[in-house]
Amino acid sequence: MECLDFTSQLDDYLDGRVDEFPMREHLNVCADCRRRFQHAVAVQSALRKLSPPEAPPAFLEQAISRASRPNAAEAHPRRWAMLGMALAASLVLGVAAGVFLSLRGAPVQTVALAVERPETVRMVFNSAKPLQAATLSLALPENIEVVGYGPRRELSWQTDLREGQNLLQLPLVAHGAVKDELLARLSHGASTKTFRVKFEIAKTDTPGM
Amino acid sequence: MPPVSPYRRARPTELNFEDLVRPQVEYLYRLAWRFTANVPDAEDLVQDVLLKLYPRTEEMLGIQRLRPWLARVLYHQYVDSVRQRARSPVLQLVTEGDGEDDPLDKVPTTREGPEEHAERSGLRDLILDALRQLNPEQRAVVTMHDVEGYSLEELETMLETPLGTLKSRLHRARQRLRVLIPMEPFSVIERVSR
Repeated sequence: MECLDFTSQLDDYLDGRVDEFPMREHLNVCADCRRRFQHAVAVQSALRKLSPPEAPPAFLEQAISRASRPNAAEAHPRRWAMLGMALAASLVLGVAAGVFLSLRGAPVQTVALAVERPETVRMVFNSAKPLQAATLSLALPENIEVVGYGPRRELSWQTDLREGQNLLQLPLVAHGAVKDELLARLSHGASTKTFRVKFEIAKTDTPGM
Repeated sequence: MPPVSPYRRARPTELNFEDLVRPQVEYLYRLAWRFTANVPDAEDLVQDVLLKLYPRTEEMLGIQRLRPWLARVLYHQYVDSVRQRARSPVLQLVTEGDGEDDPLDKVPTTREGPEEHAERSGLRDLILDALRQLNPEQRAVVTMHDVEGYSLEELETMLETPLGTLKSRLHRARQRLRVLIPMEPFSVIERVSR
C-alpha cells in the first residue's frame, strides 16, 4: 500500500469501513502515515473529551415553560431574554458571523429595512474590559418597533459585557418612513456611550396591487 | 359488542409536552452547545426548538425513538438559524464622546495573530475555535458521528441526507480540524528514538 492510498482511506479506517490488515501493515512500516493516523485519533479523542458546560437548570425549566405556556411567554417575552443573552455572546458570535457591515470610523451607522418586514439587526459593542451590570438603553424612533414590544419607544435593561466585542441581536420592524435615529446608550458607573443608527426604509411591494 | 374502555380525561397538552421533553432537554442542550460552540447560541437554539416542538406534541407522542427525532429537529433549526444570521446585517457601532481611561472605549477589532492565539488558547479554546470554522453541516456531522456516536447510516435517516454527502462532509470536516488542531501526534518515546 502506498501512502496516498493510506491517506485516502484514513477516515474509512477510523470508522472501521475498510479492510484493516493492509492499513495496519502500512502503519508498521511508514512513520509518516503513523503520525497522520495518531494525529487523527488524537483530534477525534480531543473532540470527544470536549465537555459541554452544565445546562443551567433554571434555563431549562424556563425554556420548557416558555414553549408550553404561550401566555407566560407573552408575559415574559423571550426576546427580552434573548437580548440579554445575545449581549453576553461577546466575541464568539461577532467574529464567527464574519459578515460585519462595518463602516469603521463613520459616526453613524445606517441600516436598510423594508416596511413591515422584520429583520434581525446585529450590533456589536466593544468594551476594553469586562463590565458587570452595565445598563443598555434603546430609544427607538417613530415607526421602528422591536418585534414583540409593540409601540414601546424606550427599552432599558442591565447586562454584563465581556472584554472585546459584545453582540446585541435586535429584531426590528419598520412601520413606515423613519426620520430620526435609534439611540443605544451604554452606561456603566459614571461612563456613558451613545451609539446612533440611521434607517433607510424601502417600501415593500404588495402582491396583486 | 365493541369493547368498553375506561373513561380517561384528556391530558393537557402542556403536561404531555413537558413529560416528553424534560428527559431530553439536557441532551438537546448538549448537542446545541456542540453545534454552536457557545452558551448563548446554544440556549437560543434550544429555546427555538422547544417553541417549534410544542405544537407537535401529539406527533411526538407517537414517536418511538424520540431522541434521534429531536436531534434532527435541532439540526435543521441550527442550519436554518446560521443561514438566517448570515443574511442579516451587522452594525459595528462606534462611540461618540470618547474619553481617556474610559472602560467603554473601543478595543481593536482585528483578529489576533498566531502567536497571540497560541498564548491565549488552551486545547479547549483551540478546538472550539476550530469547530467554529467549519460550516454548519460539517460541524453537525462531525459532532453527531465522532462525538455523539451516531453511525453514518443512522445519520442518513436522521438528517435525510445521502450517505455519500455525509461521508464527504465528514471527510472535509476532519481534514479541516486536523489542520486547525496541530496536536502532538507521536509519543515522547517515539520522538526521542528518531
